[in-house]
Amino acid sequence: MTRSSLWLAAIAPVALADCHGTPPAPDQQQGANPALPNAEQYLFPPMKITTPIGWKNGETPTVPSGFTITAFAADLNGPRNILPLSNGDVLAVEAGDPNAEPVTRPKDIIYGLVIGKAHSPVKPGNRVVLLRDVDGDGQSDQRTILIDKLNSPFGIALVGNALYVAETDKIMRYAFTPGQTSIAGPGTVVTLLPAGEINHHWTKSLTASPDGSKLYVGIGSNSNIAERGIDAELDRAQIWEVDPATGAHRPYATGLRNPNGLTFEPITRKLWTVVNERDEIGQNLVPDYMTSVTPGAFYGWPWSYYGNHVDIRVMPRQANMVAKAIPPDFALGPHVAALGLAFNSGSAFPAHYAGGAFIGEHGSWNRDVLNGYQIAFVPFAGGKPAGKIEPFVTGFLIKENTRGRPVGVAFDRAGALLIADDVGNVVWRVTANAQPSSAAGAASPASTSTRP
Amino acid sequence: MATAGLKPGAAILGVPVHAMLVPFPIVCFTGAMITDIIYANTAIIQYSNFSSWLLAFGLFMGALAALFGLIDLFRNRAADRPTIAWVHMIGNFAVLVLALVNSFVHARDGWTSVVPTGLTLSVITVLLLVVTGFLGHSLSYRHVARNAR
Repeated sequence: MTRSSLWLAAIAPVALADCHGTPPAPDQQQGANPALPNAEQYLFPPMKITTPIGWKNGETPTVPSGFTITAFAADLNGPRNILPLSNGDVLAVEAGDPNAEPVTRPKDIIYGLVIGKAHSPVKPGNRVVLLRDVDGDGQSDQRTILIDKLNSPFGIALVGNALYVAETDKIMRYAFTPGQTSIAGPGTVVTLLPAGEINHHWTKSLTASPDGSKLYVGIGSNSNIAERGIDAELDRAQIWEVDPATGAHRPYATGLRNPNGLTFEPITRKLWTVVNERDEIGQNLVPDYMTSVTPGAFYGWPWSYYGNHVDIRVMPRQANMVAKAIPPDFALGPHVAALGLAFNSGSAFPAHYAGGAFIGEHGSWNRDVLNGYQIAFVPFAGGKPAGKIEPFVTGFLIKENTRGRPVGVAFDRAGALLIADDVGNVVWRVTANAQPSSAAGAASPASTSTRP
Repeated sequence: MATAGLKPGAAILGVPVHAMLVPFPIVCFTGAMITDIIYANTAIIQYSNFSSWLLAFGLFMGALAALFGLIDLFRNRAADRPTIAWVHMIGNFAVLVLALVNSFVHARDGWTSVVPTGLTLSVITVLLLVVTGFLGHSLSYRHVARNAR
């Protein structure tokens, strides 16, 4: 072999990367059996970073006709998650990246600079803020800092009079009864969580079982695909079941790269999660997904995805782990970055939306065509997905600029959908307009948008 | 073919700057090949990290060396530029291009950042350096020899 043909042989896989047939249509990569194209390797991985511009006065995201969206609270500091309370108050978790990830190779410096541009310029609060709507007009008019100086909090759950907050390195418990506007005392550590100096996927999603006896916490992987070494992945890419009384914990399900939006489906009472899958093996690989979580199951990361699709970047290979891996329930599409999940158990929305899943898609960065940046809706019947993904709240994106990026979603006591927007720094509230047949009281016009 | 040496165009206290810089890319790229070979045999990720840094630092110093090499070349009259100086220049330009491509390959995550493409490029880079390095030494040491006469 001549030197130049050797060189060509070495480069060929790279050059060929862009000529792999036609990509699957977006809806072929959603649902129970997504199309999974061949993995590709890049010299320059596709990337499109959005620029945060925020919402100008009066601008709102777009909702389907028959719904109204208003800003429940604006000018927050990086709201990523929300917990509506039984008295109508809403707790907003303001948080940002702990930003301490060590640089181990030149790429880390470049990625840090590039991806950081997509974040809001507003410094995240790292605290829990209580938002109260005193006059009941759907906009909060009183705000107090409930818990301050947290370490990159994300998950939040209330069980009886115990408020649990998952910081990136621990779960805390605070005595709290809805109605309070302050918390006495420093709280109690329930259990420490895997964090450490890398702490790549830092958001610790949290929920409680319907009977309140157990907590479930999502612990994301410490890397894209174990490129920090497999030792860095001890206790990561899994969901823990935690005994809130003792802090005892066990892996509930593993192989979940970055599980967020932990919540129980109200009919089947099964735990569900949305998961961010791996990057840099294709614009259309690997689709992020939502799934019911089978106790004890292994979902593939890092060795494989969607069951037995081996990721050749992980060495040594683990054929026995690949054989164990089960596919998730429902693909959401590649790189949508799903971070929030809520089931509509109320009846305030039209029947089509009853029991369905609402998904906060933070949006892609590693794809030429932007994906996500919306609240997606998936209809459910009998506690299982029963239809295609529908865009529900859109308009976060204008060209390549983000007015906002949705993260956590939740339904409040009135059955309205709340959305934490960590780039717009807003908590949005989506309500269904009064039906013409039941026109008692609020007669709001179709699809209006208002903002304080 | 009479291959004359090249007079240094940039020197500090008589020592050519180009000659002071060239060991860096040579050592770095050779080191990257060695750490690539170790990674390919062990799959210990830190060795691929070593390779990434060696390639990046080698590229930076190699670009500086190239700059001073060009100064040496063009400070000499056209008639004094030996053929092997051009071969040396083109060969080392190819080395830097290979190392740049290799840096991007090494920026992938995990096994395929090295095996097979990264390792292949690292070996080719070093083989090419053996040739261009020989030509470079032939340029500088003939120059030294001529001055010594």
